[in-house]
Amino acid sequence: MKVNYLFPNKFKKIGWLLLIPSAIIGLVTLIYEYEPSFLDFNLPAIFIDDLFKEQKLYGMVKNNILNEILGILIIISSLFVAFSKEKLEDEYISKIRLDSLVWAVYFNYGILLFSFLFIFDFSFLWVMIFNMFTVLLFFIIRFNWQISKLEKSARHEE
Amino acid sequence: MKNSIKVERAKKNITQADLAKLAKVSRQTINAMELGKYVPSTVLALRLAQIFDVEISQIFTLEDSDWI
Repeated sequence: MKVNYLFPNKFKKIGWLLLIPSAIIGLVTLIYEYEPSFLDFNLPAIFIDDLFKEQKLYGMVKNNILNEILGILIIISSLFVAFSKEKLEDEYISKIRLDSLVWAVYFNYGILLFSFLFIFDFSFLWVMIFNMFTVLLFFIIRFNWQISKLEKSARHEE
Repeated sequence: MKNSIKVERAKKNITQADLAKLAKVSRQTINAMELGKYVPSTVLALRLAQIFDVEISQIFTLEDSDWI
C-alpha cells in the first residue's frame, strides 16, 4: 500500500562502506589530478565540443575514466546512505526525512547563490564540481543529526 | 493538539518502549508525541486508541491554536 521510494535498511551500511573510501580517493585524485594511463580509453560520446577541433554531435573521444568511476560510486553510495530505511522507518522518521530534505535543498542552493555572486571564472568550476554531490551530503548530515538528537532526548525520558 | 498518552500509559503501567512495540513505531515517536512535538497520523492515533481500549477523543483533544 505504501510507496516510499526507499532502499532496505541494509543498504545504508553498504552505502557508508562505499562512500567513505570513494569520497577520500575522489578528493585526492581531484586535488592531485591523478590520471593513471591504464584507465585511458577511447569512448563513445555525444555533444563533443573540443576546444581545438570541430563540434560534433557524436563520435569517439579519448578519456581517463577514473573520475567517472569515482563520481558514479560517490553518487550511488550517497543515495544508499541518504535513502535507505531506518531500522524502524515510521511516520515520524518520514517527517524528519522530508524536513531534512527541504532544509538540505535550501542550504545547497543558498550556497550556490552565494557562489554565483562572489566566485568567478575557474574557481566557479570547483563550486560546480562539489555542488554535484553536496545536496545529498547536506541531507545526510542534517537527517542523521536530527535522528541522533531525537535518540538522545528519548533516552533522557526513560 | 493535546494528548494524554502519558496518562493512559501510566494507567496501563507500560513503558514508552512497550507502547512503541505495540503500536509498531519507534520509541522516539512515542516520546515526541508525549512531549507534544509530533501530531500522529489518523492511523497511528486509531492504533493507540485501540491499544488503550478508549475512544480516540479521550486521548487527543484540540486546542485553540489548532484552529489558527
